[in-house]
Amino acid sequence: MSHDSAWYEIRLQGQLHPRWASWFDGLTVTSSTDGTTVIHGRVADQAALHGVLQKLRDIGLPLLSVAQIDPDPATHTSGD
Amino acid sequence: MVNPLVETKLYLPRNRSGLVSRPRLDDHLLRRDNVRLTLISAPAGFGKTTLASAWLAERPRPAWVSLEESDQQAASFWMYVLTALERAAPGVAEGALVLLQSGQAPIEAVLAGVLNELSVQPDDLDLVLDDYHLADGPEIRPGMTFLVEHLPPQVHMLISTRADPALPLARLRARGELVEIRAADLRFTVDEATVYLNELTGLDLDAEAIATLEGRTEGWIAALRLAALSLQGRDDAAAFIDGFAGDDRYVVDYLLDEVLDLQPDDVRRFLLETSVVDRLTGPLCDAVTGQPGGKAMLESLERQNLFVVPLDDHRRWYRYHHLFADVLRTHLLDERGDVAELHRRAGRWYEKAGETVAAVRHALASGDVEHAADLVELAAPELRRERQEATLRRWIDDIPDELVRHRPVLAIGFVGALMSSNEFEGVEQRLSDVERMLAGPPGELVVVDREEVQRLPGAIETYRAALALASGDPAGTIEHAALALDRAADSDRLTTAAASALSGLASWAGGDLEHAHRGYTAAAQDLQSIGHLADVLGCSITLADLETTQGHLRQAQRTFEHALDLGRGLRGTADMYVGLSRIAWERNDLDAAGNYLRLSEEMGAGLPQNPYRWRVALARIREAEGDPAGACDLLDAAERVYVGDFSPNVRPIAALRARVQAARGDLPAARDWVRRQGLSADDELSYLREYEHVTLARILIAEGARTDAVRLLGRLESAAEAGGRTGTVIEVLVLRAIAQGDVQPLERALTLAEPEDYVRTFIAEGSPMSSLLASLGRRRPDWAYPRRLLDAGRVAAPPAAAQPGLVDPLSDRELDVLRLLVSELDGPSIARELVVSLNTVRTHTKHIYAKLGVNNRRSAVRRAHQLNLLTR
Repeated sequence: MSHDSAWYEIRLQGQLHPRWASWFDGLTVTSSTDGTTVIHGRVADQAALHGVLQKLRDIGLPLLSVAQIDPDPATHTSGD
Repeated sequence: MVNPLVETKLYLPRNRSGLVSRPRLDDHLLRRDNVRLTLISAPAGFGKTTLASAWLAERPRPAWVSLEESDQQAASFWMYVLTALERAAPGVAEGALVLLQSGQAPIEAVLAGVLNELSVQPDDLDLVLDDYHLADGPEIRPGMTFLVEHLPPQVHMLISTRADPALPLARLRARGELVEIRAADLRFTVDEATVYLNELTGLDLDAEAIATLEGRTEGWIAALRLAALSLQGRDDAAAFIDGFAGDDRYVVDYLLDEVLDLQPDDVRRFLLETSVVDRLTGPLCDAVTGQPGGKAMLESLERQNLFVVPLDDHRRWYRYHHLFADVLRTHLLDERGDVAELHRRAGRWYEKAGETVAAVRHALASGDVEHAADLVELAAPELRRERQEATLRRWIDDIPDELVRHRPVLAIGFVGALMSSNEFEGVEQRLSDVERMLAGPPGELVVVDREEVQRLPGAIETYRAALALASGDPAGTIEHAALALDRAADSDRLTTAAASALSGLASWAGGDLEHAHRGYTAAAQDLQSIGHLADVLGCSITLADLETTQGHLRQAQRTFEHALDLGRGLRGTADMYVGLSRIAWERNDLDAAGNYLRLSEEMGAGLPQNPYRWRVALARIREAEGDPAGACDLLDAAERVYVGDFSPNVRPIAALRARVQAARGDLPAARDWVRRQGLSADDELSYLREYEHVTLARILIAEGARTDAVRLLGRLESAAEAGGRTGTVIEVLVLRAIAQGDVQPLERALTLAEPEDYVRTFIAEGSPMSSLLASLGRRRPDWAYPRRLLDAGRVAAPPAAAQPGLVDPLSDRELDVLRLLVSELDGPSIARELVVSLNTVRTHTKHIYAKLGVNNRRSAVRRAHQLNLLTR
């Protein structure tokens, strides 16, 4: 497991308003029409990732998946 | 106070009238048989706090703690938990709080004291830890596991949390000791939602509308509350519900938008702006919003049920419901560019209120690290004085190193914080950085606390002396301490006192008692000159200890008496009485020795070492009274509360216990101790192990190995004599006289001991000593001292007393229980000892407390001593 920064994609049940991006320290918040939301972007390390997950826990949104993704953001902006 | 105890965290929230009654959950909560822990684990907004507080309000002895992130620090967490227990059952945590504040006792020792008290509490007690997820972490886990595993049956714990705690839940579950209430249990059913929406909120919705709402919110009460707020005063309820049901948005986002849109502009603005603070009060809100009327606004929000939770009964402090606060903050971040300014205003308000911890947090949140650094620098001296270095330690990670590089005073403050949390790595680097700063051009330095600058050269060397001590380098310690004394500013008595004490401490551990005495004397004088009287008392303990070892018993007595003259109310007074008890004991005045211990008890909390010293002193008295078993129990108890307080452990409790065991003929136990310590008669001698080696000599004599004993004693005698340790010399001579059956060493011992009036060191040796004293008396009939000792040794044990001063005397059985309450046995062990059930012990305890007019174990023991109920 890497301790350096990496790109992550977190999928949630429910549509989250884009203004939450600043709450998640600038990660991109993208809602889809299927009623889910994807939060993605670069997190500094594992501790930062856990910080994001804790924030999600604190607003009570059900988590669907967490995955490390390709660092190239261009391939992950299709939903924008 | 930089970081005062936040009273609102111990406040049991009062629930609004009009709660939905939920009997199916009450059934879970009321199941108490065998259940240690109830866990309410569910996401935000599921009504955990409401459920827990409604339940606790009905319990006879409620203890409540609302945890916060700062409680991830063990010191803070346990301070609140113990204070809550102490308030629920006065006296149960009194001793534990003292031990905790010493910052040196292992948490198990702190908790063992509380558990012992709790285990004999006659009444049930319930402890709720709310928002446990905020505090959960590696720092508090070991103590929590210990606490949960050892909870006595009359104590029940409830944890409410958003994430399952890292406690041995599987084990508790398997034993049937855990009740769990989870999100699925907490969801409002359609029936409960109907009661809530129609009966309590008065919405009058039809069954289909309620079913739709329940389905869309999945019974999440936070969402149902928002829905109710959005629906109030609306004529198009059905349309609203349809729109809501057909939307995929995050429920709280959707509903909160609706509710915020319904609010007048000033309310909406107030909600967003004040969401930056954790706790709300009128004046703070006024400062943040820049508008008057905060208090009225908060009361109006409370009346309308708009997100606020009252934190006291006076309408003074509130907080936003955590879930809504998070959402309000996202709106704030999204809509406003002046969030930093809001934090800045909040920080200024806390700064004026003197609450530096909160002020620093907001300064950091506003991005003004420079100002945060200013605040930390100014707060450091007070935090040090209040032994809150852990707070200071946390800020090291928050303030960029780049800033610290130009701030010598702040840098030294951080060094102190690191050292007090036993982090020595990199400290020397920081110290040389400060030296470099001071040598460089002063224009580049940032100093807020000008007064402190002149202290730095002395402080740097003092910390180096402490570093050397920590790395086991006494010579280095003494060297740096001398430099510190040289470089300290004349007026800086605090630094010279610290340097002198460090030098004294290093000499003490090295066995140079004279130099040690000089160091502590200088430290005590400096401390007295600047009014740090409690610390003078701390030095007095060491001074008298040194004097006793040097055989200056009268001087030791004067040291304690002089310290008492500084003021009887000082923290440490209790310790002085324990010291005087020790001297009265040596004089064989056991009544006075007991009285001093009673006085000590009445003074309440003492310095960190007092809990163990008090027990050791009582153990000595017990042994002198002919109760070696009682003495051993007390020594076990003393060991559990032992705190080194940076002093060398020159008289280990285990060695004293081995002496008691050897004296009562339990040689296998004494020998076992010798083996564990790896002691032998041919060891190289050092002052630090002197007490242990004298103990070994005693054991050898008891075992009949006289030759080995005499050889060891001869070497001990030379070493002690060379080090000027006359107290040790006297004891060694006494033992040699007994081992050799020779009056000559005894004669020397008596000559050394007579001016100081030693008694117990002689008569404790019993009949072998009596015959030696008798034969010496025949040879030198003119010498009164040996005759007096002989008479003192003949006095019989004191007779059992009646029970004066008690209207309703204790029964024999109650006296049995009382005697065990004096020990450190817990409730179940007392029950085992008396072969009765725990409930019987509790009943007896209840009667004992009632008859003695006390409400806890500690006071019962104190009262028993006062009334002399324990003399056998």
